[in-house]
Amino acid sequence: MVLINMINPLLVWVAFFAPLVACVLITLFFLRSKTSSSLIAIAGILTSFVCSCLIFTQIFQANPPAQLQQSLTWISFDALTINFGFLINPLAIMMLLIVTGVGSAIFIYSRGYMDEDPSSPRFFAELSLFAFSMIGIVLSNNFIQLFIFWELVGLSSYLLIGFWYAKPSAADAGVKAFMVNRLSDFGFLCGIILLWSISDIGHGRSFLFTDLTAVVPHLNPHILTITALLLFCGVVGKSAQVPLHVWLIDAMEGPTPVSALIHAATMVAAGIYLLSRTFFIFGSSPTALLVIAYTGAITSLMAAILAIAENDIKRILAYSTLSQLGLMVLGLGLAGPMQGMYHLTTHAFFKALLFLGAGSVIIATHHEQNIWNMQGLLKKMPITGITFLIGTLALCGIFPLSGFWSKDAILGLAFTHNTVLYLIAATASGFTAFYMGRLYFVVFWGEPAHSHEVHESPVVMTLPLIFLAILSTIGGFIGIPHYLFPQKTPEELNVRVAIISSIVAVLGLGFSYMIYGKRTASDPLAAKLGNFYTVLKNKFYFDIVYGWYVDHIQQNMALFLSRFEKEFIVRLCVGGLTNLARQGGKTFRYLQNGLVQFYALIFILGTVLLFLLMYH
Amino acid sequence: MSLYFFYLFAGILIFASLAVVLARNPLYNVLALVVAIFSLSCLFVLLEAFFVGMVLLLVYAGAVLVFFLFVVMCLNLNTITLTSAQQSRFRLLGCTVGLMFLASFGLAFKSFIRAQTMDASNIRGTIEIIGKILFTDYLLPFELTSLLLLIAIFGIVSLAQGALSTGKNTENL
Amino acid sequence: MIHLGNYLALSGIIFSIGLVGVMTSRNVLKVLLSLELLLAASNLSFVAFSKFNGDYAGQLIVFFVILVAAAEVAIGLAIIVVMYRRLSTIQADELKEMKW
Repeated sequence: MVLINMINPLLVWVAFFAPLVACVLITLFFLRSKTSSSLIAIAGILTSFVCSCLIFTQIFQANPPAQLQQSLTWISFDALTINFGFLINPLAIMMLLIVTGVGSAIFIYSRGYMDEDPSSPRFFAELSLFAFSMIGIVLSNNFIQLFIFWELVGLSSYLLIGFWYAKPSAADAGVKAFMVNRLSDFGFLCGIILLWSISDIGHGRSFLFTDLTAVVPHLNPHILTITALLLFCGVVGKSAQVPLHVWLIDAMEGPTPVSALIHAATMVAAGIYLLSRTFFIFGSSPTALLVIAYTGAITSLMAAILAIAENDIKRILAYSTLSQLGLMVLGLGLAGPMQGMYHLTTHAFFKALLFLGAGSVIIATHHEQNIWNMQGLLKKMPITGITFLIGTLALCGIFPLSGFWSKDAILGLAFTHNTVLYLIAATASGFTAFYMGRLYFVVFWGEPAHSHEVHESPVVMTLPLIFLAILSTIGGFIGIPHYLFPQKTPEELNVRVAIISSIVAVLGLGFSYMIYGKRTASDPLAAKLGNFYTVLKNKFYFDIVYGWYVDHIQQNMALFLSRFEKEFIVRLCVGGLTNLARQGGKTFRYLQNGLVQFYALIFILGTVLLFLLMYH
Repeated sequence: MSLYFFYLFAGILIFASLAVVLARNPLYNVLALVVAIFSLSCLFVLLEAFFVGMVLLLVYAGAVLVFFLFVVMCLNLNTITLTSAQQSRFRLLGCTVGLMFLASFGLAFKSFIRAQTMDASNIRGTIEIIGKILFTDYLLPFELTSLLLLIAIFGIVSLAQGALSTGKNTENL
Repeated sequence: MIHLGNYLALSGIIFSIGLVGVMTSRNVLKVLLSLELLLAASNLSFVAFSKFNGDYAGQLIVFFVILVAAAEVAIGLAIIVVMYRRLSTIQADELKEMKW
């Protein structure tokens, strides 16, 4: 790829900073006005979207497609140079389009969703901040800048999850998300620094991706594996892989647009994006790739199983997000960044659609979130129902929707490389079809039976739904893989795998129809599974184990350290020194006894000693 | 022959110095110092420094030490005899330092080999010679010392005046 | 034959005795007397050097030292008198207002 300057850098900077400007404007001037704040936020993200589209055309006008890197030196001294800038290439622009495109849809949707909420200006400010941070991750051209925006995204996520901070569960969920992310970011930072420290092959050390691409082939493979695994720690936290997946479920405490944008389409996909952007590191370490692949596969299966026992509509969708993220990570672990990113793109479409649909349902049923309190909504909310169906089918991977193409790309990759992983992924897909079917049949199927009026949501909310539904349908045919990685030839669809997975999906849906087609008062599965159901309800006891660890081990460690600091460092070392000085002073005070003769004695003693010293 | 005289006067000097330091009665201290000055004066004569020997006797023993005696008598200190309980707290330390000084002096002395073999010159510090030098080469210091004595008188008078007006035991002055 | 060393040794001994007296006397009068001993020892060594080096300067120095010593003793005694009036004692230990 040649660096042709056909891309206008100004467009990139505008796309970068437009949401930040929106956030600052809202925070400074418009915190009291609901309409203005929402309009400014929407304007900000739409500006970024328009700029992204323009950049997209500019990139693909050139053949081969253009890329551009521009950066300012932020910190520079002998040992360290940190830049601030962007690197635009086809991968980046595709991700940017997803973020800004899906983001615009969700911003517009939020205008309707958050209409009744009194603190919606704060919501739009925080959402704009998030958009800025996410764009920062997409555009960053070096690890340090990426890390900064990584943390910023974590911050925005915390702010938005705990948006209704008066509610204890929401506040706790925000803290939980932040803590778990912080944990993973520690490993991430270690990886970044390790990579930087070994990146000197004669031109000095660097954080820039372009520089590191040249360096990586020369590095010791063992250290490279360790670095890759450390960087993967960041992915584990941000993209909620096992064992740091626990925050994503509780993150559903945030408003539904937040769940749609952050915890489905973009932020959690940042890990996948990182893996693709810096794939040159992971691709050269087979061990790391194996670890990544298995982590993804296990996450996918575990989440799919847990979704069966969940009754909150948003939590079911959260588990499905977890499962699909696992699938994406699996794709990347099988050295298929193209397949992983393809699935990320289509997933963004239909997951956002599903979440927005869920939000529509929640608003319509007056903030009811338990699926067993909803029934037969298809008849009452046709647009929502149909778009939700499209999303469900796309998620299950039914031909010819977008999800079919991307999911089978990954499954095909697994089939040819590693049978175990393929079996795990296929099982997870089967479960996915089952619980999504369960969700759809319980909420939308059958006869409506609501005591109060349920009607379709306003246009401002249904329009984004339709937009996303269209994208979910045609997503497989617009040649996304070609745009993501122009220099790679797209893989042929493995027909065998496609047929198997279609059969599995249909079986899953059929099975769920059998159990849930006829509406019952509560989940019949609970009785059938018995004790195993309890295990599922407790989310395989991850939270309980972590809670026990924090309460008993970590707290005691912290108390020990606190006591150590108080007693040893403060009382003994610092206090000891001051006491020493004070005691010394008290002792030497006796020399000032006021007797002149004594002074004369000391004086003469000093002279004699001095003489004796000099004499020798 | 003069060596015997030297040892005689040296011995008296040492004994008298010890008496100055060790005697209990302040009167004995002063009188011991008088004896010491006498022997010192004799030693000066041995060194043929006649003028300074006489000046020592006249000024020191004659005036200064008499002044000391005046004070001792006026303040009735001759009746006070220091008991051993009133000895200084630091006498052990003081004696040690003194011995250390003596030791360091001895060390310096040992290395000064010429002291053992030097021959005396034949100058004589007679009053004519000293007087001539005093009034020619050293005239300025000579005049300045008179100024110094004047200032000393001022100091003493002012101290005594203050003591007169505020003192408790005024009947002794 | 009396050597210079004899006089210097004597001077050293007297000086040490005077030093001990200054440092350890409880009685301020005795301190002053011991101070006089110090001066006497120095005078002796000056005169001895003067004789053995053939230079009259030593003796002249002694002359001035005696003069200054006289002035100093006078003032010292005046101070002792004032002290006696104030504190009714001549113990050096009583002068401890500058104690810590």
